[in-house]
Amino acid sequence: MKKGALILVGVVLIAGILYWSFADRDYQWPIAEHMPRPEVPADNQMTAAKVALGRRLFYDTRLSVGGATSCATCHIQALAFTDGKARAIGATGEVHPRGSMSLVNIAYASRLTWANPLLEHLEDQALTPMFGDNPIEMGMGGREDILIEILRTDEVYTSALPRVFPNDADPYSILNAVRAIAAFVRSIVSFNSSYDRFAAGESTAMTASAARGMDLFFSERLECFHCHGGFNFTDSTTHENSRIDRVGFHNTGLYNVGENGAYPSDNTGLYDMTGERRDMGRFRAPSLRNVGVTAPYMHDGSIATLEEVVAHYERGGRLISQGRTAGDGKRSPYKSEFIKGFELTEEERDDLIAFLLALTDEGVLKDPFLSDPFLKDH
Amino acid sequence: MHPHLAIILLVANLCAACGEPALQVQIPFEARFSTESISCDEQGDIMLTDLRFYVSDIQLTDTTGRAHKFDLDRDDIWQQPNLALLDLENGRGECVNGTSEVNNVLRGTITQGEYSALSFTLGVPFESNHGDPLLATAPLDDAAMHWHWRGGYKFLRTGVRDSDDSFWLHLGSTGCEGTLQNITGCKAPNRVSVELRDFVPGRDMVVVDLAELLAGDTLSDKISTDCSSGPAEENCVYAFKALGIDHATGRADGEQRVFSSALSP
Repeated sequence: MKKGALILVGVVLIAGILYWSFADRDYQWPIAEHMPRPEVPADNQMTAAKVALGRRLFYDTRLSVGGATSCATCHIQALAFTDGKARAIGATGEVHPRGSMSLVNIAYASRLTWANPLLEHLEDQALTPMFGDNPIEMGMGGREDILIEILRTDEVYTSALPRVFPNDADPYSILNAVRAIAAFVRSIVSFNSSYDRFAAGESTAMTASAARGMDLFFSERLECFHCHGGFNFTDSTTHENSRIDRVGFHNTGLYNVGENGAYPSDNTGLYDMTGERRDMGRFRAPSLRNVGVTAPYMHDGSIATLEEVVAHYERGGRLISQGRTAGDGKRSPYKSEFIKGFELTEEERDDLIAFLLALTDEGVLKDPFLSDPFLKDH
Repeated sequence: MHPHLAIILLVANLCAACGEPALQVQIPFEARFSTESISCDEQGDIMLTDLRFYVSDIQLTDTTGRAHKFDLDRDDIWQQPNLALLDLENGRGECVNGTSEVNNVLRGTITQGEYSALSFTLGVPFESNHGDPLLATAPLDDAAMHWHWRGGYKFLRTGVRDSDDSFWLHLGSTGCEGTLQNITGCKAPNRVSVELRDFVPGRDMVVVDLAELLAGDTLSDKISTDCSSGPAEENCVYAFKALGIDHATGRADGEQRVFSSALSP
């Protein structure tokens, strides 16, 4: 009897340890085995419960001044988590200098936002839209108490936070809210476009036109892949096995104000962070995944369509003939050496665009695990 | 606490007490626009829209010319021993997004003596400027003062407006290198060194004159201007100059004109 009780205790103990360790690692990345996993900060490991909590916070409009704006206001799932606007608009109506970036596969980005070399982790980045006031995005600066109050009183949060952060004496912190949001955003991964299926051997997944466009995209003639290369179509990519910090910021000849290489003063790119003249107009190359649904394009949304984007690179820089931003970007002294210009036939242009459209993963745009959980309440 | 540590601390406290008794000192601050005091909500031609700033490395110089460290009282809201947040806005009137709490006095201790000058740094010391704000202790836990974008804190955030024009300034280190949580240095530190050569504690206060700060702008062109310390921002040049900083380098360049001493009322 005593022996039996001992064995029982042992079994319960082992089961408990197993459950405990698996509960901590129960998150499954929804990607194929051969794909590298994103790098996750040691103090914010992924769990299914944390991702679910972060999803609700991501869609919670109470986390903004005025109560009508959530992260999802500027990051709409159907638009690959962009907002369709040239430049984002904050909770108080203030217009951001730059456009909302896609969050798909942002877990693989070695740096975040358009041109901030300091921002490496989503946990740090989240603080800018939440609390920043230049421009005001969600406008919660100075309203931390209100945030904490929501965490402490909302039934879903009071049930989830202690479970997700069981080691915290007080789990109702902005830090934990930010960690959960970051975990959810990291879970927005996608490698199931027509291109991915084609690359995996499904030869009918892409049209012949898109396949020709792919060859053009990866050619030395067009040079697209130098900045938009790799599995995530950007050179600023990292993952759990990365050993080198790969970050790319590029001037694409979009502006050449006053013919001295300047960009409009509210959007100087990397220069705003470093103060080095050579960094004028250098922005991070965004991933081209789902580029078919993320118009308008460029950091300031100043190009409306993919056709015009291709035309910009064909010319090797943009000519603005009049107005305050006048200048020929083609002659910018800071332009990337890969923006040399090229000539395409009509058919080649169509092929290239067909390839870019084949980078859209319809699945991630509709994945119910990434959708607004509040919609179910109504 | 480890018992040995407690004993050491106790002994240290006893020894601090066995020398000369420390002098309790308060250093008041007042916001002005030229000669007039300025506030968020008392009607005037020029209204305050914000005025919050960090000061550190506070020293009083005695009449023999020797500088002594001014130890701030720790209060878990505004002050750490070497860093204080001054908040001269009250969240009312034009100070939207401000706080109702005001802190316009530095409170601390200094060795007994006769003092005639005050110096401090406007800014957060580098060692404290780049940590995680969500883990920081007061007064560095204020999200309104943290500058996530530039990887540190806003040393000074202030602004004024009249009926149809405005100016605001966010001052902080720029050109920082490394990544957040691992910042290795900043090319433009943008810290302001303030020396008030005629300042008697107990008699005088520190005046912050915002007219000096934007004397280069004038609130008369009806174009709202602002400066967030960026290298491309021409609006920063004059304001930085008034703070004794060269906008191009972020280093000291001449004497600041914004802070001065005056008799306490």
